[in-house]
Order: sequence, then structure tokens, then C-alpha cells
Amino acid sequence: MGNKGLQKFGLAAGIALILVWCLLPVVWIISLSFKSSASITNGSPGFFPRDFAGWENYQAVWDNEQFRRAIFNSIGISLIATVLSVILATLAAYAIARLEFRGKKLVLSVALAIAMFPVVSLVGPLFDMWRAVGLYDTWLGLIIPYMSFTLPLAIWTLSAFFREIPWELEQAAQVDGATSWQAFRKVIVPLAAPGVFTAAILTFFFAWNDFVFGISLTSTEAARPIPASLSFFVGSDPFNRPVSLIAAGAVIATIPIVIIVLLFQRKIVAGLTSGAVKG
Amino acid sequence: MTTATVGRRRREGAQLSERARAEDSLGRKLVAPAVVLMLLVTAFPIVRALYLSLFNYSLTAPDDRAFVGIANYVTALTDPLFWRATAVTVGIMIITVAVELVVGFVFAMVMHRVIFARGIVRTSILIPYGIITVISGFAWQFAFSSTNGFINGWLPGVDDGFNWFGQFGSAVSAIMISEIWKTTPFMSLLLLAGLAQVSEDMLEAAKVDGATWWQRLYKVILPNMRAAIMVAVLFRALDAYRIFDNIFVMTAGAVNTESISFLTYRQVIEQFQLGMGSALSVLLFLSVLLVAFILVKAFKVDLAQARQG
Amino acid sequence: MSHARKRPGTRFAVGVASAAVLAGTLAACGTDTDSTALTWYIGPDGAPAKEKIAEACSTDDYTIQTELLPTGATDQRTQLARRLAADDPSMDLIDIDPVFVPEFASAGWLLDIPDEYAERAVDDDVLDGPASSVKWEDEVVAFPQWANTQVLWYRPSLAEKAGLSEADMEKVTWDQVIDAAADNGGTVGVQANKYEGYMVWINALIQGAGGSIVEDTEAGTDAKVTIDSDAGKQAAAVIAKLAASPAAQPDLSISNEGTSLGQMFPQGGAGEFMVNWTFAYANYRDTVGAEGGPPDEATFKDDFAWARYPRTNPETESTPPIGGFDIGIGAFTDEPDAALKAAGCLTGTDAQVTLALEAGLMPARTSAYQDPKLVEAFPPDLLALYQDSIDDAGLRPASAYYSKISGAVQSTWHAPDTVDPDKTPEESATFLEDVLEGKSLL
Repeated sequence: MGNKGLQKFGLAAGIALILVWCLLPVVWIISLSFKSSASITNGSPGFFPRDFAGWENYQAVWDNEQFRRAIFNSIGISLIATVLSVILATLAAYAIARLEFRGKKLVLSVALAIAMFPVVSLVGPLFDMWRAVGLYDTWLGLIIPYMSFTLPLAIWTLSAFFREIPWELEQAAQVDGATSWQAFRKVIVPLAAPGVFTAAILTFFFAWNDFVFGISLTSTEAARPIPASLSFFVGSDPFNRPVSLIAAGAVIATIPIVIIVLLFQRKIVAGLTSGAVKG
Repeated sequence: MTTATVGRRRREGAQLSERARAEDSLGRKLVAPAVVLMLLVTAFPIVRALYLSLFNYSLTAPDDRAFVGIANYVTALTDPLFWRATAVTVGIMIITVAVELVVGFVFAMVMHRVIFARGIVRTSILIPYGIITVISGFAWQFAFSSTNGFINGWLPGVDDGFNWFGQFGSAVSAIMISEIWKTTPFMSLLLLAGLAQVSEDMLEAAKVDGATWWQRLYKVILPNMRAAIMVAVLFRALDAYRIFDNIFVMTAGAVNTESISFLTYRQVIEQFQLGMGSALSVLLFLSVLLVAFILVKAFKVDLAQARQG
Repeated sequence: MSHARKRPGTRFAVGVASAAVLAGTLAACGTDTDSTALTWYIGPDGAPAKEKIAEACSTDDYTIQTELLPTGATDQRTQLARRLAADDPSMDLIDIDPVFVPEFASAGWLLDIPDEYAERAVDDDVLDGPASSVKWEDEVVAFPQWANTQVLWYRPSLAEKAGLSEADMEKVTWDQVIDAAADNGGTVGVQANKYEGYMVWINALIQGAGGSIVEDTEAGTDAKVTIDSDAGKQAAAVIAKLAASPAAQPDLSISNEGTSLGQMFPQGGAGEFMVNWTFAYANYRDTVGAEGGPPDEATFKDDFAWARYPRTNPETESTPPIGGFDIGIGAFTDEPDAALKAAGCLTGTDAQVTLALEAGLMPARTSAYQDPKLVEAFPPDLLALYQDSIDDAGLRPASAYYSKISGAVQSTWHAPDTVDPDKTPEESATFLEDVLEGKSLL
């Protein structure tokens, strides 16, 4: 009995630890976003704001055109990169999971090598190439590298999912009189959709998070994404970082992530672990 | 491997062989776009970096471009700055991965056992994973700030005016804390997947045999999770070796906190030294390969196999 | 399955094409079809005032739009240089920190300014400091926009306690300032983070002792390194003295122009001596009664004063730092004529008066200092001090490799508490030579 009680207590403590670990910095940045800019300039240590600024910082960030455009860029670029990357990855993963072909192992090795690639070592040559072909500071100039670097993750996740699909069902449906297109649409698509969806979420996270390409391959609001924009954020006082404004911007930039996590936590966990489980 | 497949197919008859050929061709067509795109953005630039690294070439003085052979590599490899950055990077990699492994394992154990509040735990653990690294860097930088943060006030024995970013030790600790906070969830999820592979029957049997909790951990749980641990460590280690975002945001390389990625970035993007920067890019690439090689050898694990399942 | 077989190529192409179209339309939607749009890349100092000026200088032929640059001089240079290296035709008008003018000009990124405009850009009305900052190899390559300089801001009450009269303050030395603050519970505000501001301080200290960091800068990487000199040692001695003194502010090693502002009127404490740019006046004027500002109007009037930049050497007149901004014209602009006309207006007397009144950024033109509105807004002795400082200012090395020189100096002289008069100048000379020759990484 005592042992059981101890275990329960340990578990509760563990849960508390996880929650504090994960949420404390998030609560902190939210709290920071409610400190007034005047108090930030003069220094206002402490976890909670001494004078609550209300929505002032959010209003200021949202009124900042650079920030709005960066949000727009990030959403646009990340979504396009995600869609294109998942399409290509689905094709490749289908081939890897279902077909025998020469060079399959090579494809997986290439994908693996790219997942480990030091991104920074590419920005120099990419910058040089992009400025030559006019892709510098454009959406496409970021979409292409985002696709390349999310493909490995998407391919692995998807091929792990596709291997689980009972493809015999397709034949069974055809035997039952469905055309091959119907069989594909009615049987395979519903089975494959969760995997594709998961791959899409993980891809989106990568693109949303990227910083190295974001700062190296852009220089104006034409394409600058959120992380880069936050790091260059300039307030009214040129000599002090507008800490509370950055915090408000950070909170806004985190909202999409929180929504996705709240809606799809199960799928994300499955996607992250699918590749490793079988090891 | 290919010949074996073809041989097997051939024995199964001409019709199958033709199907196999069609399958082969379809398979290659389906992977082609992904492979081409991946190589376009990696292989081609790295080859170009290899070429540029042989020149003294600055964007601000394009006319002075001159072939210098391996001089850039010699300069880099004999420069204390390069080795200091490498040492900092390796140090950060080892410490962060070790801490993440321990904390991540504890988290995985908790998540494995937890019955109530499962959704809440899973949701909160995904937030650090999904949050932008730059934002994590800002959150921790501001938290450690002596003017607007709270950590000086919370930590006993630390002066309220203590400047965490004023000297190497405390600055690099702050960087590592941000890195660890953000990536431990990823580690714990991979370990959780491994934990799920450990059979309950075996644990039950060990319990019946009178094994203590520690014995069960060391004799049953950990050996059965070996592959998951290795994959997690390998991926995190290579990721940590490329650390950039947190350093950029939190110290911008001040007080010697520069990593090898940051050094390379500065040469290329801030100083426009495309020649020297390319040489550093190539060295960074090679050192990542070396780290991967050492880890794979040390773990004796076939990674492609592990991911492929 | 036949669908799937054909798809990959076409889908990819369609996707890329639509992405390209989307990106294209986005880029295009900023431009106005009626008149030419010029883009002016502005530094964040006084951005709202600059937007007003841009509007005032827009004509029926062209509209000037602004695009904000990052804060630090180094970041600004990086952003600008990357675009210019990409031959960006949208770089019409560019705010450039004067120290990077030689680099940009020698890289061929700045449009050569035709004589008729050049003559007006640096006519007799322009103060000497800014006028020389826009020249490279005897050609005018930019328009002086506004001029900055540093003076010593202080609390007379603190100076009095230390026995320094107003007359003493006019030729006060760094030694005196540090001792005065240390002995009377005050502090000394400087800029000593590892960034351009630290270079400004080091350069002013060395020039104040009659020396220089490098000479013969037009020789590029073959410039003569002169930092290891008696002047270099005197400069290092000042930094070492402050770092070891109780007058040093706790965040000395990461201090910038903003960090020491709050130490002038602290809650308890005697205040500070602070070297800082001209914006400090407007800063305190506008924060009377607010946290970090003077407690009341009387304190601002009676217990806040200014003097010329401190001397390194009691016998030698100081050489105050100079800053500010120039406006250059991108070499790849599609609209050189409009940009030249616009640059003339953006750097004209009216524009400079607006900048001074609204943002505290002081003019580069003498005529602007005589503008009645300016005379009314600033104390006359302050305006006179600014003009003298700007005229006598010591420029930082004018080299196409300035960023390397500055970076090498910063890296050997940072952190301030590691500076040793016997070692630092020598070490930095060796390192600077190696960096210029490409033998050391920076």
C-alpha cells in the first residue's frame, strides 16, 4: 500500500515537473508581454509586471507593418513549402513503402544525410546562387530550401505510416467491384490521410521555426519570416531592445503552434515517434 | 542487393520480370523529384563551396578575387578562434545531450505511466517542441536579464545585478538552458516510443524474481530501449552540434560563446568573405560527418535500418 | 495508377510556378503606377521624422517610400551590403553610417554623384566633419544627412562635490572624471559592449592622445597599423582605470548608448558623467518626471549640464567622436535622376531642421543651426558645443576594410576589464595586421 502511495506521489510530482518545465517560460513570455515599455526601459525585474500594460504592446506590435508582413510571409511561405514538400514526400514514400526499385537504399541515405546537414554551411553558396538567379529576398528563395530540408522528415514519417497500411484492402475492394480509382479513394486515402497530415504538421513546424535561411536569404519585408523579423525588431528607442514588444510578437507567433498542438497532439506524437519505434 | 532481387525475379518468370522492371521504373520516377530537390539545395552548393574555398574572395572587393589554393584551410585550421569555436560547440553538444537524455528519460517514464491528464501532459510537452527556437532564446535571455528578468531574483545566492551574459561560463549556461528546454520534449517523445517497446511481461517476470526497481531499470528497461536511445542521442547530438539560433539571439557570439556554425555564418554573411567562409563551410560539413561517423561507430547501429524499421 | 505516374513532374512544376507568381504579385503590389516610387532605406534613429521628410520631399514625379533598417551599425551594413551585392535595383536611397562609405564606394555599390549635385552636397554650408565623411578617393559619393557627436553629459552637483568648476569641465580629463565619480558615489557612463560603439570610444581616446589606430588607409589591406603607440597605451590606461574603478557601471562590458541613460538621475546616488551622442538632451528633456528621467523641471534645468568630450591627455584638446548618417544612392537604381534630386531634398536645410527638432538628430549644415526654431528648442551653448565638436571631430579610419579594423580592435580590447596598457595595444596591433593580411579569422 505504502509503495503504491509513493508511486502515485512520484507520478504526480513528475507530472508537475513536466508542466512547470514546459509552461514556465511560456507563462513568463506572456507575463513579459504585459510589462509596459516604459518600465522595461528603466528596468523592471520580476516575474510578473508591476504595472500591467494591458494590450498596449500587442496593439503596438500589430500596428507595426514590418511585423504584420513577417507574419504574412511566414504563414504563406510555410504553407506553400509544406504543401509542396508533402506532395513530393508522399510520392517518394509510396515508392519506398510499396515498390521494389534500384537505389531505394540510396534515397534513404541521401534523406538521412540531408537531415544531418549543417544548414549554415549552405547559406554562403546559396546566397551567391540566389543573388545570381534573382531568388534572393523572395518567397521562392525560402520555399526551395525549406522543402529540401523538410523532405527527409516527411519521407520517413510517411513511409513509416504507409508500411502500416493494409494495401490488400485495395485489391479486396477491387474484387468487390470498385474501380481502381474508387478503391484508392475510398480505401487507401482515408488510411493514408492521417500520416500525410502528420507529415504536414511536422513540416510546417520546421518551416515556421527556421532562422538561418530566414536571416541569410532575405533582407526586407518582401520575404522576411517571423523569427528573423523578431530578431531585428526595432522599437521607438533605438538603443534598447523593445523587450516587451518582442515578447508580445513572440506570443503572437506562438499562437499558431499552440492551436496546432491543441488540435493535433495525438497525431504529432505518433508522427515524431513512428520512425524510431521500430528501431 | 540489386542483382539478387533481379535474380530472384528472373527465376519467377518473364512476366514478373517485366512487372518488376515497370515497378523499378515507377519507383524511380516517384522518388526523383524529391531527390533532385534535396540535392539541388545541398550537393550543388557544397560543391560550389568547395570551389570557392580555394579563393581569396570578398564580396566587398570582388575585383581582388585570387586563387590561393588551400591557404584558407591552413589559416582556419591554425587559428585559435576556429578551435575555440569547435571546443565550445563540442562542449555544448555533450552537456546538452547528456542533460536532455536524463531529463527526457524521466519525462518519458512519467508519460508512460500517466493515466489521468494524459492530454494535458502531451499538449504541454509539445509546446517547447513547436515553439520557435528564436523565441525560446528570447524568453530565456530576458529571464536571465538583470534589468527585466526574474531568475536573479529567484535564485538564492545570486546578486540581483548579476550579468549572466558578461562572462563565458554563465552566458554559455544560459544558452544551454534554452537549448535543453526547447529540445528535451523531442528527446522524451523518442524515448517514450522506445519505452513502449519494453514488454510488460518481462518486467512482471523480473518483479516476480525479486528484482529491485534499479535492477529492472538496468537489466530490462534500458537494454530493450537501446535502439531508441541511440536514435535519440544521434539526432539530438547532430542537432546540437549545429547550434546557431540560440547563440545568435542570446549573445551574438560575445564573451567567446561562438559556435562553429556561428563563426561560419559571420564570415560569410556578415563579413562577406566568401572564400574563407566557404572553407569554413566545408570544414563544418566535414566535422558534422565526423561526429556522425564517431557516434554511429560508437553505437554500432545501422541508422538507415533503424529509421527504415 | 496512371494518374500517379504522370503527376510528379507536372505537379511540381505547377506548384513552383504558382509560388513564383504569388511571390511576384506580392513584390509588385507595393509599387504605385502613377509616379515613380523611390525606396529610402532608413536607419531607425528618428524614423517617424524621416517618414515625414520623405513625404515632404515626394513630388509629382516620384514618391519616396521608406524601408526600416536594423538598429546597430554592423547589422545595418550587413543588410545593405547583401542587397547591394545582389545588384538590387530597388536600392534607391540609402542611409549609410559614414564609417562604411569607403567600403561601399570601393565595392562599386554607390552611384557616382555628378558634379552639379556633388557641389551642392558638400558646399560651404556643410560642417567639416560630415563633409569629409562622404568623400572617397577625392570623389563625393554620398550626401551628408545629419551629424552626430558625443559630448560629456553630467550632473553639476556631482562635479561640484568633486571640486570641478564649470571652467574645469571645459578641459576635464578622463582621469579627473573617473576619480570625481568614484570619490563621490557617482558613476561614469560609456559604451563598451563588443560593438561599434566601443570602437568609437577607443578611437576617440587614442586620437585624443594624438595617435591613431591605422594610417595610410587608402592602401587598403596594406595600411600602416599604428595602434601600438604611446597614445594607444594612454587610451588603454583610461579603459583599464575605469574598469577597475567603483565608478564603472555594473553592465560595463555590455553597455551601449541606452544602458547608462538611467544612471544620470538614479533613485539615490549622485548620478553620472556620461559620454553620449546628441540625442541624450532630447531624451532627458522628454522624460522629466518619468521613471529614469529627471525628477522635475528644476533638476533638468539646474542639475544637468554638458561639456566638451573629455581629454585623454591634459595637454591635448580632445577629438570628439563623429557619427550621423549620409545618404548614398544605390549603384543599381533604375531611377538615378530622381534619386539624385530626392537626395538633395532629403539632406537639405529644411529636412535637417525637421530631424533635429523631432528626433534630436543634429544638422550637418551650419544654416540649419541658425534656424529660429532650432535656436528656440536648444540652449545656445549646447548648439555651439555641437558645432565645435563636429568641426573638431576625429574620424574613425576611412578604409574599405573598416569593418575588419573595427572588428579586430573590438575583439582584442573587449572586455574592458581585460585591457592592460602594456599588452593590449601591442596584441591588437599584431592581430589587426594578421586580420588585414587574411592570416587570422575575425
